[in-house]
Amino acid sequence: MALLSKQERRHFPDWDDPGQCQFHSVTIDLEKCDGCKLCTIICPANVLELFGDKAKKKARVKANARGCISCNNCFAICESGAIEASQHYDFVGYYRQLGRGEFSKPRVF
Amino acid sequence: MAQASVAALRNEDPEEVEKEAGRSSTITVVPEGAAWNGVEQTMLKRRSIRKYKKAQVPGHLIRRMLEMGRFAPSQGNCQPWKFVVIRDADMIQGIEDFCVGTCKKLSRGIDYYTYPAGSFKYFITRAKAKLFNRLQPNMMHPVPVSGITAIAEGRFAVFHKAPTVILLLMDKRGIGVPAIDIGICGTNIVLAAQSLGLGTCWIGFSKFLNQSPEWCARLGVEEPYEIAEAITVGYPVGDPTHLIARETHEIGWFEGGKKEILY
Repeated sequence: MALLSKQERRHFPDWDDPGQCQFHSVTIDLEKCDGCKLCTIICPANVLELFGDKAKKKARVKANARGCISCNNCFAICESGAIEASQHYDFVGYYRQLGRGEFSKPRVF
Repeated sequence: MAQASVAALRNEDPEEVEKEAGRSSTITVVPEGAAWNGVEQTMLKRRSIRKYKKAQVPGHLIRRMLEMGRFAPSQGNCQPWKFVVIRDADMIQGIEDFCVGTCKKLSRGIDYYTYPAGSFKYFITRAKAKLFNRLQPNMMHPVPVSGITAIAEGRFAVFHKAPTVILLLMDKRGIGVPAIDIGICGTNIVLAAQSLGLGTCWIGFSKFLNQSPEWCARLGVEEPYEIAEAITVGYPVGDPTHLIARETHEIGWFEGGKKEILY
């Protein structure tokens, strides 16, 4: 018995097919975002950018961005609590994620 | 005779041993729901820091971190590590340039999606990438591959312009699986750094340096050692310590003759 089928183990996803390589994304609350830019410079996948007028810039995910790994570093640095990843990346075939539950803040037991 | 004494040792009642030794200790249980202690807070606040202030980290703090690495557990106490600390900006730029060059070469050879779809280059690179993917499934995971592309395109740095870089060298003759010992040693180092107000990031792409005889000679990386990992150190930009959400993982829990799945 195995968690991945034989077929899955043999299938390496096409890197250029978003249907097979599901990098994730973050949700940004534009009401809360004060355009401080910190998230755009610490993002390991470099998928965030600022947009808008000089006075009220906001952060957003770049168009055709690739590579968000849901690390939540953007959340960790955001002073206004405007940005968060809530789903992990996943891929089809050989790299399918296994044994994962919901996103959760650190729990006290 | 030897066998008998081993058996006796195994069967000794731990409480009796303590009593005989006159060293009775009491069990202290942290109550349920107690607030996180200092070590736990350090672990929860640690993030991988990829943007550093220009200020250099005082040398004594680097020594302090490495001292924690020195006391990490290892298989058979083999301590298969050696450290190289680089604090000169031009040398860090040198290793950066080498690793970026390697990423560019790799990217040209495997990143088929950077070529026009349907072109001959796309076709041949894709075939190569698929084969390489099968041979090296860990390295050729879509995440590091997109990292290689980003570095090759200049959108991302390898050593993040950190003021200090620590190379973790591994003695390949280490007992069992020495790479695990390097991981444990480095964990001690990064957690110590976090507790000292420093930011760190593990740099796996530093392994490319092993392919350069010039850099190996300059850095003192000789057989049977190889660069297993690197850790960048510096003062983080901003305050990246808000506690984040992350997915839970399956736990198989065996107790009272039953198996439970917890998350």
